[in-house]
Amino acid sequence: MKGEQLQRVRRTKRNQLLLFLIILAVLTIWSAVGTDFTPGALWGGIGDGARFLFVDLMPPNVSEFPGLIQPALDTIYMSFVAMVIGSVIAGLLSIFAAATTSPHPALQIGLRAFSAMFRNIPVIIWTILLVASFGLGKLVGTLSLLIVSIGMLVRCYAESLEEIDMGQIEALRSTGASYWQIITQAVLPQFMPSLVGWSLYNLEINVRASTIVGMVGGGGLGFTIQSGMKLFQYKEVSMAVLLVLCIVLVTEFMTNRIRERII
Amino acid sequence: MTLLQVENLKKVYADGTAALGGIDFKVEAGEFIAVIGPSGAGKSTLLRCLNQMVGPTSGKVIFQGADTINAGNRKLRQIRREMGMIFQGFNLVERVSVLTNVLHGRLGYMSWRGALGLYSKSDIQEATRLLERVGLGEQIHKRADELSGGQQQRVGIARALAQKPKLILADEPIASLDPAASEVVMNSLYTFCKEDGIACLCNLHQVDMAKKYATRIIGIYKGTKVFDGTPEQLTDEMIELIYNQNKGGGADGLSAGEGVNDSSRGLPVQKETVLA
Repeated sequence: MKGEQLQRVRRTKRNQLLLFLIILAVLTIWSAVGTDFTPGALWGGIGDGARFLFVDLMPPNVSEFPGLIQPALDTIYMSFVAMVIGSVIAGLLSIFAAATTSPHPALQIGLRAFSAMFRNIPVIIWTILLVASFGLGKLVGTLSLLIVSIGMLVRCYAESLEEIDMGQIEALRSTGASYWQIITQAVLPQFMPSLVGWSLYNLEINVRASTIVGMVGGGGLGFTIQSGMKLFQYKEVSMAVLLVLCIVLVTEFMTNRIRERII
Repeated sequence: MTLLQVENLKKVYADGTAALGGIDFKVEAGEFIAVIGPSGAGKSTLLRCLNQMVGPTSGKVIFQGADTINAGNRKLRQIRREMGMIFQGFNLVERVSVLTNVLHGRLGYMSWRGALGLYSKSDIQEATRLLERVGLGEQIHKRADELSGGQQQRVGIARALAQKPKLILADEPIASLDPAASEVVMNSLYTFCKEDGIACLCNLHQVDMAKKYATRIIGIYKGTKVFDGTPEQLTDEMIELIYNQNKGGGADGLSAGEGVNDSSRGLPVQKETVLA
């Protein structure tokens, strides 16, 4: 009796797995046909790709380095400013967007929707839209990074705020503390570690995103890469790409160190 | 003048749970009242309805002549700051110093300065003095979560005292403490209330503690008051009644209290450790 049952369960499990694999295979073939993808096409491109990578791009033109310092700094400035201003604005908005601290549910839903729009439109589209109204440059790059930072941070902050210990808030409420007194004296101390953690993570994301933003007119290293490609200055492009990699790695290293220190 | 007057206080939660079914009592200045009853009887809800942490469904709560239920925001802050509250889970702000936690008791008297954490010199001196009084003078600059449970609860008492309250509401102050720490905490609470002339309403699980400290005991069962009298009047039969009412064995004990209104509801028996 029991063995029979066990066998039946095993059989259904095996059938489920089989069905899953069949569906996966069908979907893959269907998408491959739709995109004209064949393993052969991949093979055919390897020669051209390798030549571009190893002949055109290599070696990086180190003598271009002095000219790249300013764009590299611009990239860092943009990411940093977007993070700092973004976390101040998002910090304030997230207090109203979190169920635990929001004065009114309607405000909470409104802000959630608002930040979802900021965050879910990709940063490259924000830049293209803003270039149309502000022209090319760092300002546009910073603004688009700022918009996406706010979108992301409001959500992350609000979710952290919803996990705070309500007992501590209850205690301050019972002493007769006002709304803002409770926010600064009971909510903020609990919120601080996640605030710092998410902001640093946001800085990393901004540094990566800032190159893409630069490519569509937002200034910084991305802009240098894009114009280098158009002028066939591939050795300069590879130098800039190398710099981007360096900046990303250094940022990651530093934010990790700071996070360890603070939390 | 009566310090606190509670009339026909009812609370029905949004999910339909009737936590309080019409409670009446009065508290005079300087009384130390223990509120006993099984888990889920409505003791916590009762305390929270007094300082409006939970909004009652109907009834009256008059504190020093002021209607707390219909009080506006500003008035409610004034009422709350004169009612200290102590919690089962201590509810200290864990990541700040012990001293700051005591200073939080002053927030009800402050405006924007409180939001910025700019406490006055005299408040800081007073908070330090209070911490010395509860025996934590050495710990004032430690982070609150570095202290033991008993020490944290004493900080909780200091925070309540910093409010210069007329009444302290203590919600199971010793339920998460070991026996030794419980003794210290109850002793401090009792002594300070007596010395400062503060009335205290203290929810307790431990009937022995209630008998030891209280000047008066209120028994709550299923959201109604089933006993209100002196510790001497609280007989073993009465205790049995408060905690295990649907057993229906202690009908004789009724003479000590005000009468049990409903013993036929067929409730699940909630066994509690009644006496040590």
